[in-house]
Amino acid sequence: MLEDLLGIFDIASSQGHGSVAMIFIIGIVFGGIIQYTRVDKFEKIAGFAMLKDTIVPKMLFLAVGLASIGLYFMVEMGYAHYHVKPIMIGGLIVGGTLFGISMAILGKCPGTGPISIAEGRIDVLVGAIGGLVGGAVFTMNYDFFKVIMGENLGNTILPDLFKGHEDLTILLFGLGLVIVSIAIPKLEEFDEVDLEQLHEEQTHMLHKVKESRARH
Amino acid sequence: MIRRIPWWVGGILMALLLLFAFSTFGADRPIGASTYVPYFSGIIFGLDPEKYTYLKEVEHAGAWEGILLLGALFGGFITSVFITKSFRISLIPTGWKKYKNNSVTSRLLWSFLAGFIMIIGARLAGGCTSGHFLSGMAQTAISAMIFGGVVILSLLITGRLFYNTKAQ
Repeated sequence: MLEDLLGIFDIASSQGHGSVAMIFIIGIVFGGIIQYTRVDKFEKIAGFAMLKDTIVPKMLFLAVGLASIGLYFMVEMGYAHYHVKPIMIGGLIVGGTLFGISMAILGKCPGTGPISIAEGRIDVLVGAIGGLVGGAVFTMNYDFFKVIMGENLGNTILPDLFKGHEDLTILLFGLGLVIVSIAIPKLEEFDEVDLEQLHEEQTHMLHKVKESRARH
Repeated sequence: MIRRIPWWVGGILMALLLLFAFSTFGADRPIGASTYVPYFSGIIFGLDPEKYTYLKEVEHAGAWEGILLLGALFGGFITSVFITKSFRISLIPTGWKKYKNNSVTSRLLWSFLAGFIMIIGARLAGGCTSGHFLSGMAQTAISAMIFGGVVILSLLITGRLFYNTKAQ
């Protein structure tokens, strides 16, 4: 098992997608952004499921809107490539439904989960163990799950549907998402740590105001 | 040191990170975060790749995302300890106590079950929030838009039915 675990470094660095150090640094920045914006918290994702917090959709739509425009022009100029996932209707609908249900209950997804574990969340660690068992069950019953996934209907992207207007399609899509991200009303649900810190900040502010008044 | 950054700063930074990962100067591939799970399952449960062909399919992406995960754990830990100062060992999230219950057993059982279903769902769909929603939508992939629509609908319905949302 240790040998297999160590093999990860060779496999990761030998596929032309960056050195181990670069992948690791992308991971650090990814974890840092998610932690610094607090979107790894239960209150953010489960809070969105209850429509009490909208930070996650606001941030997601903004990131995707900006990245879609940037990526399109990078691909045009040869600085990047598209790696589009196939349309497999059964897999997307059944998988998406199961994913949405579990995301609302766990209050995490596979990207934000580990970052929560890194801030000391034992419940998410238990969720990750459940995930590992799920991964094993999926692997062992792949033939069964393949039937649900259905056939590959192609790797279509939006500009394929609007031939001749590719640039405009991307600009409208990207700007549209940016506008949506701004238009979604900002709602926030806090956890204990945030509330403590907000309280500290407010007391600090009040203190300052009192001080300056006393001086005048 | 500022203890949190607003959503729009996070959104801009995340877009820049995505573009770097996609670029030929970076990794020339999208960011994903659910393929590493079956990769690690295979190693931990000692599954034979000769017998289970899925392990061979996910070997490359799994290892790449595995390193990304190690970086994310490290980045998340450092940020939570030194910058956001939000590191706490905890069993039940504040929101669960407020909208569900105070039982540790209930939270842990639901967490295990949700984690289990989440990975089955992500592998059926061929991606998760990172692979489909972030990276897929940035490529304006139709597969990602179908996934995103279904997930948001299912998430909102579950949120309404599973929690006592009227609790104060």
